[in-house]
Amino acid sequence: MSVILEAKSLSKSVQVNGQQPQPILKDVDLQIKQGEFVTVMGPSGSGKSTLLYNISGMDRATGGEVQFQGKKLTALSEKELSKLRLSSMGFIFQHIHLLKSLNILDNIVLSGFMAKKMPREQVKKRAAELMERVGISSLIDHDITQASGGQLQRVAICRALINSPDILFGDEPTGALNSKSSNDILDILHEINESGTTIMVVTHDSKVAAKSERVLFMVDGSIVAEKHLGKYKRGSDQLSQREQELHTWLTAQGF
Amino acid sequence: MLTSMLKKDMLRKKSITATLFIFIFLASVLMASGAKMIVELTQSIQHLFTEAKAPHAVQMHAGALNEAEIEQWARDNELVEHLQIVEMLNVDGSQLFLQEESEKASVMDISFVTQSEQFDYLLNLQSELVQVGEGSIAVPVYYKSQYGLEIGDQVKFDTGRYSATYTISDFVRDAQMNPALVHSKRFVISEQDFEKLTRVIQEREYLIEFRLHDFSMLKAFTTQFQNSALPQQGPFVDYSLFQLLNGLGDGIIAAVIILISIILNLIAILCIRFTMLATMEEDYREIGVMKAIGMTPSMIKRLYMSKYVALALTAAIAGYAASFAVYRLFTQNIALYMGTAPQTALHALVPLVAIALIFGMIVLFSYMVLRRFDRISAVEAIRSGSTGEAGRSKLKMSIHKNKSLSVPLLLAVQDGWQRMKLFRLLFFVFAISAFIVIVPVNFYNTMNSPSFISYMGIGNSDIRIDLRHTSDIKERYAQLLQTVEQDAAVQSHAALVTSQFKIANDEGSYDNLSVETGDLDVFPLEYMEGRAPQTMQEIALSYTNSSELGKSIGDSVVLQVEGQDQSFTISGIYQDITNGGRTAKARFAANEDNILWYVVSLDVRDHSQLDSIMKQYEEQFAPAKVTNLEGYLEQTLGNTVERLQLLVVVGIVIAVFLSLLITALFMKMLIAKDTSEIAILRSIGFSLSNVRVKYLSLMLMILLLAVVIGTICSNTFGEALVGMVMASFGASNIRFVIDPMQAYVWSPLLLFAVVSLTALGSLASIRKTSISRSIAE
Repeated sequence: MSVILEAKSLSKSVQVNGQQPQPILKDVDLQIKQGEFVTVMGPSGSGKSTLLYNISGMDRATGGEVQFQGKKLTALSEKELSKLRLSSMGFIFQHIHLLKSLNILDNIVLSGFMAKKMPREQVKKRAAELMERVGISSLIDHDITQASGGQLQRVAICRALINSPDILFGDEPTGALNSKSSNDILDILHEINESGTTIMVVTHDSKVAAKSERVLFMVDGSIVAEKHLGKYKRGSDQLSQREQELHTWLTAQGF
Repeated sequence: MLTSMLKKDMLRKKSITATLFIFIFLASVLMASGAKMIVELTQSIQHLFTEAKAPHAVQMHAGALNEAEIEQWARDNELVEHLQIVEMLNVDGSQLFLQEESEKASVMDISFVTQSEQFDYLLNLQSELVQVGEGSIAVPVYYKSQYGLEIGDQVKFDTGRYSATYTISDFVRDAQMNPALVHSKRFVISEQDFEKLTRVIQEREYLIEFRLHDFSMLKAFTTQFQNSALPQQGPFVDYSLFQLLNGLGDGIIAAVIILISIILNLIAILCIRFTMLATMEEDYREIGVMKAIGMTPSMIKRLYMSKYVALALTAAIAGYAASFAVYRLFTQNIALYMGTAPQTALHALVPLVAIALIFGMIVLFSYMVLRRFDRISAVEAIRSGSTGEAGRSKLKMSIHKNKSLSVPLLLAVQDGWQRMKLFRLLFFVFAISAFIVIVPVNFYNTMNSPSFISYMGIGNSDIRIDLRHTSDIKERYAQLLQTVEQDAAVQSHAALVTSQFKIANDEGSYDNLSVETGDLDVFPLEYMEGRAPQTMQEIALSYTNSSELGKSIGDSVVLQVEGQDQSFTISGIYQDITNGGRTAKARFAANEDNILWYVVSLDVRDHSQLDSIMKQYEEQFAPAKVTNLEGYLEQTLGNTVERLQLLVVVGIVIAVFLSLLITALFMKMLIAKDTSEIAILRSIGFSLSNVRVKYLSLMLMILLLAVVIGTICSNTFGEALVGMVMASFGASNIRFVIDPMQAYVWSPLLLFAVVSLTALGSLASIRKTSISRSIAE
C-alpha cells in the first residue's frame, strides 16, 4: 500500500504573552498508508490534536514537513491548502460545528457546491445517499435544532464525505456522545474505512482505538509507542479481544 | 478591580472602543461648537446693535424729499424718539474700483455716506465709531472678506469726467447692511469728500430712520407710517429684519452643525446598544456565574455601565475641550462681521449643558439596554451560554434549492436575511450617508439648472435688461423700448414694469405691494397653482405673499389703483425667491408715481449673436444690467450656489467618514462574533478569499439596499426638506433636477468604494486567526 500522508520531523511551538516558545510537537515522524485506519491516543496535553491539525494543513507547523499524496503541504499557499481540504480531506470534530444558519441538508451540500466536482443536482443526490447510509434520511428537511447530538455527528460525517475525500480526520468524534451513539458512529467510520477511505482519528476512547488498524501513543509532543492491531472485521467476535490487548498495551504505556 | 476590568476590556476591544470614542467625541465637539456659535451669534448681534444704536425702522427712499415735512410728522408722532435722515450718494458699480476691475458685475447697490450723527452708527473692527479723514475711506467688512482688502489699500472712484482715489483707513460694521444677503453697502467718507461728491453724483437715496420710545410698538408705528403721506419710494425695513438677516447665514450653519451632532450622537447610541448586546452575548455565561454567586442585577449593571459611562464621559470632556479650539473656525465670520461680544458665563455654560445632554442621552440609553440583565436567569445562562438576543431568525432560505448563485454569495444572502435585526444599524447609517450625499448634490444641480428660473418669478428669455431707479428712468426706459422694437435682431420682447401699490390689510389700513405689470404672455411663467392673470381684474401672487396674506386662488385682494380701492381676483400663485419673495403680477397699468424698476426681456433671432447684442445694449443703456439667463442666475444665485458646493463637499466628507467608521466597527464585531463560523467554513475548504467574498457581499448588499432607500428618501423627504427651507425664501414646491450620473452612479459608487475598502481592510485580520484554535474553543 502506498503512503498517503507523511510527516518528517514535524514540530510546532507556540509563544504565549511574549514568553519563550513552548514546544507542543517535537520532531514527529509519521507515515499513514492509503486505506489505513489510524488512531492517536495519549494523555491530555500530549499534542494529539495539534498533530492532527498540523498534519492536515489546518495549522502551520513551525518545523519539519508534511507530504500528502506526494504534495508538500508545508509549502502550499493558503489557497492551495483550502482547495485540498475541500476536495481531498474530510473533517469531523468533537463539538459538531455545523453552521447554525443552515438546515441539515444545506450543511451537507455546502462543500459539495463549493467544490464543483459535480452538478448541484448530483451533489444533492449524493447527500441524500450519504444520509441514507448513516441512517438519518428522515432528517433531510430538518433544521439542526431538531436533531440529537448523535444525529448531528452523522450530519457532520455526511458533510465530510460529500466530496469523496481520500482521507478523513477526526478529532474526538465520539467525545460528546453517549455510548449508543458512539458505537453507531464507530460502525459508520469503520464502514467508511472499509470502502477505501483513509482515516486518522484522535481519541481518548479505547473503544474507538480498538476498531482501528494501528494505534499511536503520544506523550509530551512525541509519538512514544505504536501498536498494530490489524484490520478489524465487523461482526466478528474479536472486538473484546482487541480491547483487552489494547488495554494491556496502554497500561504498559502508563495510560 | 473595576479600573483593571475596564482597562482590560478596552484593550481587548481597542478598535471598537476607539470608534465609539470618535463618534461621541465628534458629537460633543460639534454640539459644543454649535451651542457656542449660537451664544456668540446672539450676543454679538446684540452687542453690535447696542453699540451701533441700530434704527428700529427705516424707510428707504429714492427721489426728492421734504425733510421739514418728515420732521414735523415725527415730532407729532408720540411713538418716535429720534428721527434721522441719512443721505446716500449712489455709485454705479462700473465707476468704483476696489481692485483692478470695477464693481460693474456686482449685484450690490453701493453708496457713499458720512458717519451718522445721532444713531445708526457705522462701527470699525474695534466696534468704535468710524472716523474718516479727508482722502480716506472706510469699506464694508463684506469687501474685506470678499477681496481680502487691507488698511492702506486704494479705492478709486472714476466717472470718466471726475476721478478720486481714497485710502482705506478702516472697515465698517454696519448693523443694517452687514450681511452678504443684503444687497446695499455703505462706504464711509469724510464730510469734505462727501461735499465734493454731491456735486458729481446726481443719484441720491435717503434712509429715513426712526428710533422709538418703546420698541414693542413697532407694528403700530409701521402701520401709521405706511398710511402717512410721507415718501415711500423704496422698501421699508425694521430692527427685527436686520437682526434676522444678520443671524440667518451663521444661524443656519449653527443649526446644521447641531443637527449633524445629533445624528452622530444617535449613531453612537445605536453603536453602543449594538456593542453592549454583543458583549452580553459573549459574556452570557459569566453573567450567569455572577448571578449564581449572588451578585445582584444592579451590581452587574453597574459593572457594565461603568465602561460606557467612562467612555462617554472622557469623550464628552475631550470634545468640550476641543470645541474651544474648533469653534473659532465656525465663528470667524461672526467675529469679522459683528465683532466679539464680551465673554459671559453663558459662553461656557450653554455648551456645557449641551454636552451634558449628549452624555445624559448615552447613559440613559445604555441603562435601558442593560435592563435586559434583569431577565437573565442564572441557570439558563450557565447551561446555554447564549442569550439568543442578537440571534438568527428561524426563517432559513434553502441553499440546496439554488441552481447557479455562487456559494459565498448564497451564504451572504442567507446571513443578511437571518440576522436582519443585527444589520439594522448598519443599514440605517448607510441610508443616512446616501441621503446626506444625494440631497445636497440634487439641490446643487437644481439650483445650477436653467429651469431654476421658474422659482424666480420670471419667464425664460434670452436676454434680460434691468433698469433700476434713476432720475431719468422714464426717458431711458422709453428709449430702450423704442430701440428694442426697432431692432431687427430681436425676435420677441416683453416690457414689464414693477411699481408699488397699496394693498388693504385686515386691520383696515394698507401695506405696500410690489406689482409687476405688463405683457405676461410672451415669456410665460410656470405657476405653482392656477394661471397668469388674463383680465384687468385679476392678479397673481407670489407664494410668500399669498401665504402671508392667507389668500388662495379665487380669493380677492383690494389694491389702491389711481387713488381708488379696487378688488382683484387671485388667478394664480407662483414661486419667487427674488425681492424677499414678495411680488405680484397683473395686467393693469403701473403706478407711475411709484415705479421701482423696469425689465425688458427679449429673445434674439440668431443665438450666435447673443453676446454682441448684449454688449451693444450694455454700452448704449449703461448702467442698465444686461444679462442672459445663465448670467442672471449666476449673479443672483452665485453666492448661494458656491455655498451649496461647499455643502456638497461637506456632505460627502461626512458620509464617507460615517460609512468608514460604521463599516470598520461592524466588521470588527462581526468577525469577532463569527470566529467559530469562519473557522468551520475554512475547515471544510473555504479559502480566505471565499470568506472575504461572503462578508464583502453581505456589506455591499446592505449598502445597496440602503442606497436605494436613501435615494428614495432623498427624492421624497429630502425634496420636501429642501422645499421647507426654500419656502422661507419664497419657493415651497422645489422639484429636484437630478443629474442621474451624479445621483445614481457616482455617489453610490463612492460609498461602495469606501465600504469595500474598509471591509477588505478589516477582513485582513481573519488571516491571522488560527482555524484549529477557533475550532477547539
